[in-house]
Amino acid sequence: MAGPVSVKAALEVAEVLETIVSGCVGPEGRQVLCTKPTGEVLLSRDGGRLLQVLHLEHPIARMMVACVSSHLRKTGDGAKTFVIFLCHLLRGLHAVTDKRKDSLISENIQTHGRHWKNCCQWKFISQALVTFQTQVLDYVMDQYLSRHFLSIFSSSTKERTLCRNSLELLLEAYFCGRVGRNNHNFISQLMCDYFFKCMACESGFEEVFELVDDCFVELNVGVTGLPVSDSRIMAGLVLHRDFSVYCPADGDIRTVIVTETIQPAFSTSGSEFILNSEAQFQASQFWIMERTKAMMKYLESQNVKLLLSSVKQPDLVIFCARLKGISVVECLSSGEVSLIQRVIGLSPFVLPQASSQFEISNTALVKFCKPLVLRAKRYVHLGLISTCSFIPHCLVLCGPVQGLVEQHKDALYGAFKMLRQLFKDLDLNYVTQASDQNYTSSPLIYKNSRESNQLPEVVNGSIQSPHQGTIVKNRDELAKTQTYLKVYSNLVVPSVELETRILCSTPKVTPTDTYQTDETLRCFSPNKTGIIDNHESFTESNSANSTTENTRIEISYENLQVTKTAGKGSMLPVRYKSLEICTSQSYCFSSIPAGCVLPVGGNFEILLHYYLLNYAKICQQSEETMVSMIIANALLGIPKILYKSKKGNYSFPQIYLKALHALQTSQPMVSSQTGLESVVGKYQLLTSVLQCLTKILTIDLVINIKRQPQEIYDQDSEEEL
Amino acid sequence: MSRFEAKKPSLCKSEPLTSERVRATLSVLKGIVTSCYGPLGRLKQLHNGLGGSVCTTSQSSALLANLSVTHPILKILTTSMQNHVSCFSDCGLFTAILCCNLIENAQRIGLTPSTVIKLNKHLLRLCISYLKSEACGCRIPVDFSSTQILLCLVRSILTSKPASMLTRKEIDHISTLILRAFLLTIPENTEDHIILGESIIVPLKGQRVIDSTVLPGILIEMSEVQLMKGLPVKKSDSLKVALFCASLSGDLSDTGEGTVVVSYGVSLENAVLDQLLNLGRQLVSDHVDLVMCQKVIHPSLKQFLSMHRVIAIDRVGVALMEPLSKVTGSQPVGSLGSISPSSYGSVKDLCTAKFGFKHFFHLIPNEATVCSLLLCNRNDTAWDELKLTCQTALHVLQLTLKEPCVLLGGGCTETHLAAYIRHKTCNEPESILKDEGCNQTELHLITEAFCSALESLAASLEHDGGEILTDMKYGHFWSLQADSPSIVNWPDLLSRCGCGLYNSQEELSWSFLRSTCHPFAPQTFLPHEAAGSANYLTLDCFTAKLNGLQVAVETANLILDLSYVIEDKN
Repeated sequence: MAGPVSVKAALEVAEVLETIVSGCVGPEGRQVLCTKPTGEVLLSRDGGRLLQVLHLEHPIARMMVACVSSHLRKTGDGAKTFVIFLCHLLRGLHAVTDKRKDSLISENIQTHGRHWKNCCQWKFISQALVTFQTQVLDYVMDQYLSRHFLSIFSSSTKERTLCRNSLELLLEAYFCGRVGRNNHNFISQLMCDYFFKCMACESGFEEVFELVDDCFVELNVGVTGLPVSDSRIMAGLVLHRDFSVYCPADGDIRTVIVTETIQPAFSTSGSEFILNSEAQFQASQFWIMERTKAMMKYLESQNVKLLLSSVKQPDLVIFCARLKGISVVECLSSGEVSLIQRVIGLSPFVLPQASSQFEISNTALVKFCKPLVLRAKRYVHLGLISTCSFIPHCLVLCGPVQGLVEQHKDALYGAFKMLRQLFKDLDLNYVTQASDQNYTSSPLIYKNSRESNQLPEVVNGSIQSPHQGTIVKNRDELAKTQTYLKVYSNLVVPSVELETRILCSTPKVTPTDTYQTDETLRCFSPNKTGIIDNHESFTESNSANSTTENTRIEISYENLQVTKTAGKGSMLPVRYKSLEICTSQSYCFSSIPAGCVLPVGGNFEILLHYYLLNYAKICQQSEETMVSMIIANALLGIPKILYKSKKGNYSFPQIYLKALHALQTSQPMVSSQTGLESVVGKYQLLTSVLQCLTKILTIDLVINIKRQPQEIYDQDSEEEL
Repeated sequence: MSRFEAKKPSLCKSEPLTSERVRATLSVLKGIVTSCYGPLGRLKQLHNGLGGSVCTTSQSSALLANLSVTHPILKILTTSMQNHVSCFSDCGLFTAILCCNLIENAQRIGLTPSTVIKLNKHLLRLCISYLKSEACGCRIPVDFSSTQILLCLVRSILTSKPASMLTRKEIDHISTLILRAFLLTIPENTEDHIILGESIIVPLKGQRVIDSTVLPGILIEMSEVQLMKGLPVKKSDSLKVALFCASLSGDLSDTGEGTVVVSYGVSLENAVLDQLLNLGRQLVSDHVDLVMCQKVIHPSLKQFLSMHRVIAIDRVGVALMEPLSKVTGSQPVGSLGSISPSSYGSVKDLCTAKFGFKHFFHLIPNEATVCSLLLCNRNDTAWDELKLTCQTALHVLQLTLKEPCVLLGGGCTETHLAAYIRHKTCNEPESILKDEGCNQTELHLITEAFCSALESLAASLEHDGGEILTDMKYGHFWSLQADSPSIVNWPDLLSRCGCGLYNSQEELSWSFLRSTCHPFAPQTFLPHEAAGSANYLTLDCFTAKLNGLQVAVETANLILDLSYVIEDKN
């Protein structure tokens, strides 16, 4: 069976998904109850999970779900908005194509033919979408939207310190969309407390995020049967198992980790043990016993009071440990072991093979270790003494049913993921078309708008720059790859596609020829003097964007120089040509700095809507105007849903008009809601949706195959969220 | 080869609570739990058509564990109740009924779920802070120097489980036993934190309830053959005990991941047996009188030990290991090598006892916090119910030790609380309206729904068609017999309120519970002498009821908040 794909079909699918998802959006959203085939029940407001449990059959729906899940893997947020936005975009496209079709009908083409014709038309639209995504979006973000950005960091100091108040607002807005409306205040407060308790110093928050994100499973304990308000934070680490031996001890407790059994086995794998007599058997058993005892005695002599083992220890070891007063925790998961290792910097104790002297260098101290009883289940509670910037704390999450506890766990995990994204810089680059086509010597403008270089903790950006010289170097490399791409790609390829490739290659610039890089660097080093620190633009950007405190350094130099210096390479003629092509364009590299936020309640959408409409007005090409208009109008769909239940002054039309008025008269926008949301998340969402839409539009036919899939695992992994 | 099957699409239903089927199933569930509630509750007989034993019960734990519900919403409700019960043992039915009532009432008033949820949560906060405050008029502090209140508490629990089939006299007997068993688990010399011992319930079915008893120490059942072998001669004032957790059966221990090649003619069994007998010799030379093993003891070793007049008890089971180690003070031995003398323990005495038709070894400890509750009842189902009840009572006593106060039972707490909430929201609505952003009518409607949920919960204690009254001074619960004459002198017909604290001769005025009465302020601050006044108070566990209240409201809120149900049909 084969069926043509049409915008109409895609729209129908998207509308069904939208009705389900829109019930859960925003602070007024409600819960969805999902049952698993095993009979468990799960509560969720997480769009990704909902789409996953629906087990959709429709091919387009499945593609949408795949797109959503790939987006979620990247950002951990925004599945519901994804669906709504996509649905509005399709609706807009449908309306436009309907109009055009009316004019086409008179031509009386056969249906099949019309289908193909439509496909061609969509192909153009999808190309326009790509153009929009790569050029217009970044341009609008950087040129217009960035002046509205607020920062999560407290603005009073130059250091990047987190502002607790802003973080609370951000988290509250996040949990509003994720957990039941009773609990979002409580959960966001809990997470905020947790985060600040875990943070050893103000500057080390990135390490904390990384660690919590990696080891989230080990850092929380779910307890059912208690009200949610009983959830709390406990200092130390709670292991999800009981002591095998517990010997109370005071003071600091010396600890070792082992990953194998202390009692030597008769034979190790791959070897053969030949027993010739009963005496030999008894002797070897005696030897094993003595050796185990000696080992335990040694541990005792080293004042070890706690033995953490990733494997099950034999009875004899347990028995000896009890005699020697050593507490034992067995069967630790690899996650727990690695977490403990990371926090206290303790590596496992390797048992000596030979029977000579033992030596333990790998011990660490813990403040306390005691049993903890939560709802009749016993846990081990360890007071680890941290050696990194993460002070271990555990989240005890309570709820009347497991489904609710799981929901809170997922939401917390997602929040950490979202925050990790927020603290990364996001690069924007776009091409500004010079209005004059004859403009021959347009300068290449490399804009670097990240945090001022003196700050050591700028980590996440793709290019870490200790001094300005390297920036130039990096930019050179970038320019080189750009030219390489030009060289290798067909010259006829429109610059649009080229740009996307550069976007992908920016984080890991891999020059194919190191010699050439060196050369360029050398050639450019005298050029350093030529770097113009454009003070004018610096002050301008600062005044426009006072809160983000960007230090923008504009480096500009002439195109000709590039050709001259790189001209020594062997591929001179080709490159020269390619440069000729792009002389009339100027490339802008910019970024959304880490920690950029905007107030919630559709602020981002309304702003982008406004600026896109403005952009569309000055745009010459009709395709671009149309796409910009469609996107701008589709953006409004999200605030419309958010304000659906509000009346009077807070209804959507009122809010919208007020915002427009404020923008036109360049007054600050007043938001009725207090929460904040991440700009990077919104931006990524937008690009993901546009990519998904392009994908839908470029497919013209769905071919249904009734056969066992060949590679099961690949398919599975794609469907996984 | 792995089999790959396309997943079936899930079933997605919107607004599940509005569907007629869901409402019907909810009301069936409510009917089941409501009819079980209280001392006069009706029993349920659960029987599985595919086999298994029949269970007669009125307890939430047994009922919910055996019911199989299919609808996801009911599943949420029942698992929530089960989780509560597994934490607190008590107040499961209370929670279930309250939750059903809240859902039903909220649907009836037809406001948006968000308002209902917000205000429900606010009212819950009011309830909790009132119950925890000093001014609370339905809470009694527990005085551990007298047993009166604790005994009342245990008795109330036993009375409220009619399926144990106890007479009044038997209830008194069992409640004394339970309290004694509980007191035996409290260590005498208390340090900064108390570690409670354990009471082991030993089954004895087919005997009279009156034959139940509590013994300090541990009872281990044994065969008559073992009895014949006789008891050890007591050499000193205590018996030396060795406790093994390793198997003494003579099988080879784990030999590692590689292969072990045994040459022809080498018998490892003999080698291990030699080792066992060596162990036996050491035990004998160490003058051990009693050897107990979690697993199996090799017959040869058993024979050897009994020849030397050492008693060997095997297959004790892992459950008894910790109490045994506690009672004897011995370390469970995990090796067949030489045993260090420090791991031996001792008991004061060992004797045999016969209860009913069963023989037991009775380990009498020197000083320990372990006791055995020998529980008798006439038949299996009644015994099962009684056992559950005893466990509940013991758990409730432990909870009371942690939080030393109790709530008035018999429906009085619920009616009192309802009166308090009504009065509070009627007199000071401003703060709530400001906090939650709703209007007066909404607040009034939801308060009414919340309070009537509490009141109809109290009213479901009455199963025989009687009338429920409440007095206008304390807000307590009074029940009126069904066939009482219409023209009445109420003080004569009503004798005592539900909890038994007040009697009707106190110049009170009454009104029917379900009639719309104007809000009144129930008297807060219990009279000081209240705790000592009545002998037969009906009391409830404070911690369990508080948690039940919270869980019920939270679960109801959760269910009201559902907009879709997605059922995975795979």
